[in-house]
Amino acid sequence: MNHPDQILPVPDGYRTRDAALFAASLDDQSALLAADLEGISADELGWQPAPGMNTIGMLLAHIAIVEVFWTQVGLEGRPQDVKTPLGIGIDDDGLPIKEGAAPPANLAGRDLAFYLDLFARARAYFKRVARALSEEDLEVVRARMRRDGSTSTSHQVRWVLYHQLEHFSGHYGQILLLRHQYRAARAAVR
Amino acid sequence: MNAPAAAVRRTVLQLPDGFRSAEAALWFASLEEQRGKLLKAVDGIGAAELEWQPAPGMNTIGMLLAHVAVAEAHIVDVAFARLPKSRVLEVIGLGPDDDGMPLPEDAAPPEHFTGKDLAYFADLLSRARAHARTVIAPLTDDDLVREVERPRQPDGSTRVFDPRWMLYHLVEHEAGHHAQILLLRHIYRKRGVMGP
Repeated sequence: MNHPDQILPVPDGYRTRDAALFAASLDDQSALLAADLEGISADELGWQPAPGMNTIGMLLAHIAIVEVFWTQVGLEGRPQDVKTPLGIGIDDDGLPIKEGAAPPANLAGRDLAFYLDLFARARAYFKRVARALSEEDLEVVRARMRRDGSTSTSHQVRWVLYHQLEHFSGHYGQILLLRHQYRAARAAVR
Repeated sequence: MNAPAAAVRRTVLQLPDGFRSAEAALWFASLEEQRGKLLKAVDGIGAAELEWQPAPGMNTIGMLLAHVAVAEAHIVDVAFARLPKSRVLEVIGLGPDDDGMPLPEDAAPPEHFTGKDLAYFADLLSRARAHARTVIAPLTDDDLVREVERPRQPDGSTRVFDPRWMLYHLVEHEAGHHAQILLLRHIYRKRGVMGP
């Protein structure tokens, strides 16, 4: 038995190595996550460990929304318009969920194909923008006001590329933990 | 009267000096950023929460912290130093299997973590990172794409990887467990009102 080779090929078509590396990393993460989710049911995607906690479906929608959001705001330096490329709006993941709240109704009954389609749309958008970044672009620090208007933040474009990866990976880790919890909860009621 | 100026938070990925490869420096900077977030996530955590297990067979926060250190020390040696056997025990003072992972179904956490405080786990992480810097800093760009084939394992499997993939993997691995720790802290606060 051989494990699949763990090689990170740097894709062509990017103006900078850093953007190509993070794009390759994100594609590797997407492939691994899709493999880990193979066969997951709509019931598990919508399962909530307790009121006020995220479901796997919410996290998947959130990953796609945030990938487009940071591409627009952090890489392009424009106001967010998540809905145009994704077909769902910036708040449609239901995050942050309110204390004691149920998952958003718009995600009820959604299957894995729905979320994988969001992923594909988000990644296509990200790649189109990332390919065009120059070395000078990576050093740009963009200022923006937070959504609550209270604090101004600024983010370097290179940091945004890194953040896209760590954000994806972080929620991927949480999804694996939620799958473990789901199995334990099902075993407990049997 | 003018409104008070909003505080400006500036977020930059600072590339470290002393690395032969700019790419290795990029990944190391990412690791350092991630480590800052991980330590912030557990700031002030007590020993009781570090060893709390949501259900039998599930990881504790202490186990995850130890696992991040063990994995880093192991990967650095086999992927970047190209050693046939890693020196995890020598580097961090904990053996390669001492994180208790993967935890068998229904098992309790390893007893040797009982009562261990944050300083203990932070020390493991710090030792692993210092080792990583020492080994990664001299790598060249060519080193990053020289494939490593691991010796055949007892189960008959073989594994091939390139150091570039492993640098990326270190980042995503720590990010994944960091976010799991955040989720476990959330569950800990809600314990008693949720299953399993």
